[in-house]
Amino acid sequence: MHNISTVIRFEVIRTLKKKSFWAMALGFPLMLAAIFGVVFLSNQSTNQAAKNLQNQKYSLAITDDSHLLNPALAHTIGANFVTTKQQGIRAVTGGTVDGYIYYPADLTKNPIEVYGQDVGLFNNARYEGVAKALLLNSVQGTVTPSITAVLQGTAKTNVTTYRDGRPYDPSKEMILPGVFLVLFYLLISFFGGQMLTSTTEEKENRVIEMILTTIRARTLIIGKIISLVALALLQGAIIIVPAVIGYLLYHDKLSLPFVDLRTLPVNWPHIIIGAVFFVVSFLLFTGLLVFIGSSVPTAKEAGQFMGIVMMLIFGPLYAAPLFISSPDAPIVRFLSLFPFTAPIPLLLRNAVGNLHGWEIALSLPILIISAMIVLALAVRVFRYGALEYSRKLSIKEIFKRK
Amino acid sequence: MGVFITTSTLPLVGSIVVFTAPYTATSCRASERWLDCPPSFARLCIYEYTEFMDAIISIKNFVMKFSGTAVINDLSFDVIRGETFGFLGSNGSGKTTTIRALLGMYQPTSGELLVNGAPYSVSGTTKLGYLPEERGLYKKETVIDTMVYFGQLKGMNRPDAYAESMAYLRRVKLEDKAKLRLDKLSGGQQQKIQLGITIMNDPELLILDEPTKGFDPVNRKLLMDIIEEHQQKGATVVIITHQMDEVERLCNRIILLKDGAARAYGTIDDVRAQFGGKSLDDIFITVYGDENEQEEENDA
Repeated sequence: MHNISTVIRFEVIRTLKKKSFWAMALGFPLMLAAIFGVVFLSNQSTNQAAKNLQNQKYSLAITDDSHLLNPALAHTIGANFVTTKQQGIRAVTGGTVDGYIYYPADLTKNPIEVYGQDVGLFNNARYEGVAKALLLNSVQGTVTPSITAVLQGTAKTNVTTYRDGRPYDPSKEMILPGVFLVLFYLLISFFGGQMLTSTTEEKENRVIEMILTTIRARTLIIGKIISLVALALLQGAIIIVPAVIGYLLYHDKLSLPFVDLRTLPVNWPHIIIGAVFFVVSFLLFTGLLVFIGSSVPTAKEAGQFMGIVMMLIFGPLYAAPLFISSPDAPIVRFLSLFPFTAPIPLLLRNAVGNLHGWEIALSLPILIISAMIVLALAVRVFRYGALEYSRKLSIKEIFKRK
Repeated sequence: MGVFITTSTLPLVGSIVVFTAPYTATSCRASERWLDCPPSFARLCIYEYTEFMDAIISIKNFVMKFSGTAVINDLSFDVIRGETFGFLGSNGSGKTTTIRALLGMYQPTSGELLVNGAPYSVSGTTKLGYLPEERGLYKKETVIDTMVYFGQLKGMNRPDAYAESMAYLRRVKLEDKAKLRLDKLSGGQQQKIQLGITIMNDPELLILDEPTKGFDPVNRKLLMDIIEEHQQKGATVVIITHQMDEVERLCNRIILLKDGAARAYGTIDDVRAQFGGKSLDDIFITVYGDENEQEEENDA
């Protein structure tokens, strides 16, 4: 116990002293803030540019074979009507007008044709914008606002569902168990590389013999894993806390939907199961990464395996819609039970609430046993691969050595 | 165990003991000498008695094979508590393999390797200081952090580990480097730090694999002094080396390993006597000279 705490302290402090840790820890939230800032400024700038476009004055000719246009509306923007399309095009090519719009008789079969003087890639959009806005406003004037909302698909709905006679929103219920899915994704993404190389350092620095004759390999590995978990949680806090504060303060300015955290439904069984799946999955993949790192001589060689591990972990994300819509599909069941692909499907399906009790009862022991086997193998490989300074340990050797 | 042909039932340490059957040629160890007698006569074996002495290291019938090839062949020897023991051999003779197996890093193919009467375990009671042949430390960490870390792993509390580390750094004139990263130190300075870590917490058993490798004469003397201090404190020291002057200066007994077997084993005087009174340097050349010739032939 004394040695585990010594290893944890040493590993945590040395990592906290690394600039690369803080670059990564602070870099991600800063990058997110920068992206949101750019989106915010870009939205403002785009809105302003659109307003400027609307306010621009330019000469326009129109031919309306659809008979949907309100002539009074067209005149308010200074447009003149011409009788044929050829006249309008000639007026543009001859330079007598800036733009010409042709509305065909049947808009379901033919497009609105727009011709204009080139005023640059962005500004050329002004002709099309005016063409559509003129038609929309003309038609809107002939129907009620409600019909307009229905036709535009902007009519709002407010759904209230009930469970046990009380209002219940299943989409909100998945937020808290879903936190573990996000946490798993972030931690493996950020710390996968560090886990992979956490044991190669001892080998590369040739310090392994002094270590192995001072503490047990298992103690070192467990100490390293706990320190990685502690650092990962710190990293998670550095990302999540500013994100939550930023969301609470600026969600309206960023056009994000507001969720009152106090009203979130708390489904304790799902949260607890999510937490257990998260911990076991994290240990399984930490063990796998340490196992790989221990069986190769250098961090560089270990890095070659990172892609395979990431594919195993995050590959199932491509089937995410299937996990929600078809939880009983054979492929979903397989991915949920096979330990190396199980974390994402299990965490997602647990959050959504379509994970059957028998699947939990079966997948959890599989995950736990797999994690224990992988961790035991990682310790074994670390012990016996430790003195292989220049070559990989083969699978045969791992099991052959007594 | 053979039959004692002595006047006392329990011989004194260092006395000469003669065994008769069932001692056989294979059981007569490197430190024992066959009496000149006809083969048909009862096999007699004479050796300097160490059987009942307190062995801190005891290796019996150690065999080590890698991929079916024997690297160590039925090796047996003891290291007596409090002595300084020289473990000699040419490159590839199996010295480091033996030490790694003794310290549990390799699983022996067969045989018994004991430290304080039991297979070595880091969770056991033996206070070990091991300086491996493969040198290295956490290069990105500071000198003091690394020393304190190892001191704590060896069971010291943090203040004691810090105090002992600083005392050592003062002694080897590296106290101004305490807060520097190890990769900022020269190779020789890093060696000193590694030696400092090895001797932390007063080990009762020091195993030093080529301890003077990379040291200049000044630092070699410093190292010799440190080893002697630990000898005086009662530590058992095992030195694996090619430097015969170090062996003559420090060691009580030695073993010469060749092709994974003991070629000679005993006190320095014993070994010299076995080779007609030659110096250790000459003995080394006699035993391993043919290997060098072989290597040269292979190179050619």
